Parts: sequence; C-alpha cells; structure tokens
Amino acid sequence: MLACDRAAAEGGVAPGQKLSTALGLSPGLAVFERAVPGEVRALETLACWAGRFTPTVSLRPPAMLLLDIGGCLRLFGGIERIVEAVREGCAGQGWTLAWAVAPTPLAAVWLAQAGSGASAATAAELPALLGALPPAATGWPAELLARIESFGLRRLGELRALPTASLRQRLGSAPVDDLLRAWGELPDRPSAFVFPESFVGRLELPSRVEHAEGLVFAGQRLFAALAGWLAARQLLLRAATLHLAHDDAPDSELALRFGEPVADEARFVRLLREHLGRLKLAAPIEALTLVADETQARPGDSRPLFAVAVAGEGAAACLERLRARLGEASVQRLAASADHRPEGASRLCDEWLDKSAIDALPAAAQAGQRPLWLLPAPQALAERGGQPQWHGALQLLSRGERIESGWWDSGEAGAAGDVRRDYFVGRNPQGQWAWVFRDAQGWFLHGVFG
Amino acid sequence: MSAVAAPLALADVLARGDVWRGDALADLPAAAIPSGHPELDAELPGGGWPRGNLTELLVDRAGAGEMSLLLPTLARLSGDGGWLALVDPPWRPHAPAWAAAGIDLSRLVVVRAARQAAWSVEQLLASGGFAGVLAWPESGLDARALRRLQVAAEGRPVFACLWRSTAASAAPSPAPLRVAVAADRTGLALRILKRRGRPASRPLLLSIPRPARIPHALAGPAFPAATSRSAALAAVA
Repeated sequence: MLACDRAAAEGGVAPGQKLSTALGLSPGLAVFERAVPGEVRALETLACWAGRFTPTVSLRPPAMLLLDIGGCLRLFGGIERIVEAVREGCAGQGWTLAWAVAPTPLAAVWLAQAGSGASAATAAELPALLGALPPAATGWPAELLARIESFGLRRLGELRALPTASLRQRLGSAPVDDLLRAWGELPDRPSAFVFPESFVGRLELPSRVEHAEGLVFAGQRLFAALAGWLAARQLLLRAATLHLAHDDAPDSELALRFGEPVADEARFVRLLREHLGRLKLAAPIEALTLVADETQARPGDSRPLFAVAVAGEGAAACLERLRARLGEASVQRLAASADHRPEGASRLCDEWLDKSAIDALPAAAQAGQRPLWLLPAPQALAERGGQPQWHGALQLLSRGERIESGWWDSGEAGAAGDVRRDYFVGRNPQGQWAWVFRDAQGWFLHGVFG
Repeated sequence: MSAVAAPLALADVLARGDVWRGDALADLPAAAIPSGHPELDAELPGGGWPRGNLTELLVDRAGAGEMSLLLPTLARLSGDGGWLALVDPPWRPHAPAWAAAGIDLSRLVVVRAARQAAWSVEQLLASGGFAGVLAWPESGLDARALRRLQVAAEGRPVFACLWRSTAASAAPSPAPLRVAVAADRTGLALRILKRRGRPASRPLLLSIPRPARIPHALAGPAFPAATSRSAALAAVA
C-alpha cells in the first residue's frame, strides 16, 4: 500500500499496510497498481515544463525535481516570484506541491520532504532551518533512523553537533557525507536532466473524454511542457501534431501549424482551442500524445565582449533624414547593369536596400578600362591639329575600344540609343585623364579617370 | 519522451548566433586606415588616413588622380562592410569602375546636397553609420562650418575627406590633415601641408595605377580621322 485517498484513510487504511490488510479493513477498496514508467514520464514532462525557469533541472525520482535557480533570480525578480510562478504552474497542471528553497540541493530536498515550504536565501540562514528538521526528513533507511533515535537525538542540528569522526564510526560514512553536503561543506552536483532532442509528450487521461472541448485542459498541460522544453533548448515551434488515442478505434491526428515560428504558450493554447472547437470525436479518448514536428533555432545574436557602440543614429536613420530634407531624388544609390553602353551600364536609382536591383556586371565592362566618373551627357570637344581639346590638347594613350550597340532602343526617350563610338584614354597637359570617344559627329568627352 | 541524439557537428553548434565564444573580443577600430601606398603611410601620422578626423584634399582640378589614390582605402572600408557616401561629386560615378575597384555598390550612397552640403556632411559624419564620407562642397566652407564637421567626425570611426581648392591652402583650417595633390608626369605629387607631429618638408611622388593600354587589339576608328588615329597609334607605340 503506497498511497490512499481520504475516504480510504477514514476507513483505517494507511500507507505501508499489506494489500490484504487494507482490503480487510475496507472491502470496497478500488486498488490500482503502481505504474512506474508513467511516473517517470510525468516527472520528465514536468522537468520539460520547468525548462522555462532554468536550464539546470535535475530529476530525483520518484517525485522530486531540483531547479537550480541561483543564476536566474535577477531575471525573474527574486525567490518569491519564481516560487510563486512554480506553484501556480504546478497547480494549473493539477499537481500538489511541497517545495523548499535552499543554497544546497540536499538541504532543499530535506526541507521539501519535511513539507516546510521554507526558503533560505543565504547560507547563513541554512543551519537554523536544517537543524530544526527531524532526522526522518532525510529519507534515510528506517534502521538508521532508529539508531539515531536510540542516541536520544530528535533534531538534525543535534546530530550535526556531534564530532564527525565518531559519528562516522557509529553510523557509517554515507549519512555523515549527506549531512556535510546538506550543510554545504562537501560539494554536491546532482546530475542535470538532459532536455530531449525531440519533444514527445504523452498524457493518460484520468477518465474517458467524449467531447473535444474536454481535451483543452489536458492539452494545455502538454503545451505547457512543450513551451518549457522550447525555452530550455532555445527553439521555436513551426508545427506540432496531437495524436489522440481512442478507446476502441485507431488513433487520430490533429495537425497544428503556426504562421510563424513561436514559443508562446498562450498562442499554442489559442490555436488548440480553435482546432478542438471544430473537431468531432469519432470515439472517446483515453490518451493524448503531443509531438513537436518542426522546430527551428531561436534566432540569437551575440556581441563581442567590450564592444563599444558608436555614438549616433546609424546609416539608415541618417539617410532617411537626408531624403526628407533634400528630396528623394537627391539621395541615391548607384546600380550597375549589363549594358555595353556606358550610359546604360551605370545608373543612379532611388530604391536602395534592395540588393537584387544590382545586376551582375558584364564581363566586358570589367575587363576594359572604365573611368570612375561619367559625365551626365557626352560633352562635345573641339578638334585642333587632329587632337581633341579639353583644357589643352588631349594626348591619346590607348588604342580605340569600339562600342557599337543599342539598335533596339534607338529613338526611345531616356535611352542611350544606337551608338557607334571609338573610345580612347587621353591625358591633357594639366594631368587629367579623360575618356573620350569619336563618332560620326566628332570628338566627345564622356568620362574622367579620377 | 524520446531522446534521439541527432549527430551534430561542432561547427554547426559554434555557428549558432546565441553561442558566444570567449575569443570574440571587440577590436577597437584602428585610428588609421592604411592608404595602400607604403611611402605615403610612412608620412601620415598613425600610418594611414585618419579615422574620426577631417582630411582635406586640396586639388585644383578634380580628376588629377586623387580618387585612384583613395581607392584602396575605400575598397578596404567597403570590404569591411562599411557604408560610403559621396556628397556632391564633380561628375556621376560610373558603377562598373567602382565595382571593379572592389567597392560594394549596395552600400554606396550618392547625395546631391548643393547648398546644404555642409549640413548633409555633418549629418553623415555624426550618424556614426558611415565608414567613409567624401565630399566636394561647391561653395567654400567657412571656418565655422569646418569646425562643426571636425567636431561631428571626432570619436567616430569614419574616414572623412573633403575636397577643396588649393586657393584655400593659405587659410587656416581645423582639419588635422591637409594634403595638396597635383598631377605629375609620372604619377601624383603630394604635399602634406599640415599633419599632427612635425611638419613634412619634401613633397611626395607617388605612382598610382593609370588606365593602361587595352590588352586586346580592337578595331580602330572607322571614320576619316587619319590624323587622330596615327596620333593614337604613335602614343601607343
């Protein structure tokens, strides 16, 4: 006999009795066999749920979870807030809770087993709280507890006050080490629960559910665990499936898909409600299984240590202000396009931040010599002695490069049109390097090498 | 609950945005950017063009080659992901040439500010979002405007370069670096008029890349311009 409800207790049934004794005391007793795998599964689901508070969770079967909240006190705003959130969450899932907060894991376990609901924020408060506990709170074997009682010791504090060496001889090392661990004099690291790679949460319903709306409460528990698991693994959910196990029919599935990746429990439950509202159950349901099908990593960003932010509003905000004051056409971006005619190969455009607008550069334009600056329109140059004149005679330094292209848009407004030009690189006496061309109309200056 | 351990490469884990590595320390932006010309770097305080300070280029005729002088610096700034801004350039930039020089056109902004050039440059410098701001103010900036620009640039990792006429060389300026650039027969002649530290005495002759002969022969002019053609060929030969 492990546990009994109040009605059975009134009939004289108590934990620890033999089943035959209990049945003799209360013949109408409904007996259920203990299901250890179910307990483990429930504890693991609860551990997943607790992932929302801290990534360091330890299981202590059969029914205890250790949350290392030392690192997250500031995030949640103190011990009281976390304890309150844990208690509310457990109550919402239908669990009754005995809790304690202590600087060492074992002290927290003992305080919780004593059912004190005590919280010791600092190591200084710990000895008084622990010292007042009865030895039975440690969960040590009954034989050991009996021996301690035979010493006439009623409190752990009295036991702790005895010399350690003689206590080891009388009780063995294990209980003494436990005492030292609880007092924080020996290091204690409970092995951490590893949040599973993929989430599969299963919940046996206490009674058959005939209506879909009745599943909302059970579904909420599973989604609460899922949200904790997502928080601990830093994931977002895209799609999940709720498998409904029927009494006497094949399982049915309910696919839940989210518009954007989410980790918000309230949104899960809202979507679940909508789906369940439309669902018609073919048969009563006895178990629910929630599977997270598609998850993705939560986008994160880490900055270098000691990074110094540059004072100022940044490029985008500054450009917005310039555009507002100077006009849209005055703040432009440069774009290259695949055109052999220089007028077409380069243009100023208003739309920026649109990387696709930049076409792949034509190989020819990269191979040839192109000036950094282009005149808005070719400037006619006088010719004297066979040489074009631009602040003096231009000395031509390259062979001609023929650009003959553009028959398709000749005559169109704004287009370069059909051109037939021979381009040369020239230098004038001032040392300016010019890109000039000659066509049927004569010499023109088209660009300047900066 | 199933704990199926999917094989996960260490590199994938380290590539996650929320994994912080202990060697990810911020490096302070260098106070100077190498100009790409070692002989010039030797003369410039800090070993390159300064960041967070105004630089004046005194050029009488734009197009003497001062842009080619700056291109390695600009390509480096752009390659590091920085934004570049050209304020009132003398002509329109020709995209293929800038792209071929290694400048990311998606982060190059051309501003036509005209009378508001001083205000625009000040905003661009003070925003802190630009790695390089090059400005060709049309009208002469007075000393007060220059001082405002110097204050806007101070403490920000921006290469601020201002084109001015050599006529301004005699007037005092708050810019800590002033360089007069003139074309030389073989390259560029630089005179550092003002710099932090002891004054520079001798002018600097730099050779910069110049448009060379096009490697593959193309057809010559098809027009009756025999004289110009022979001149061109003579120059080539």
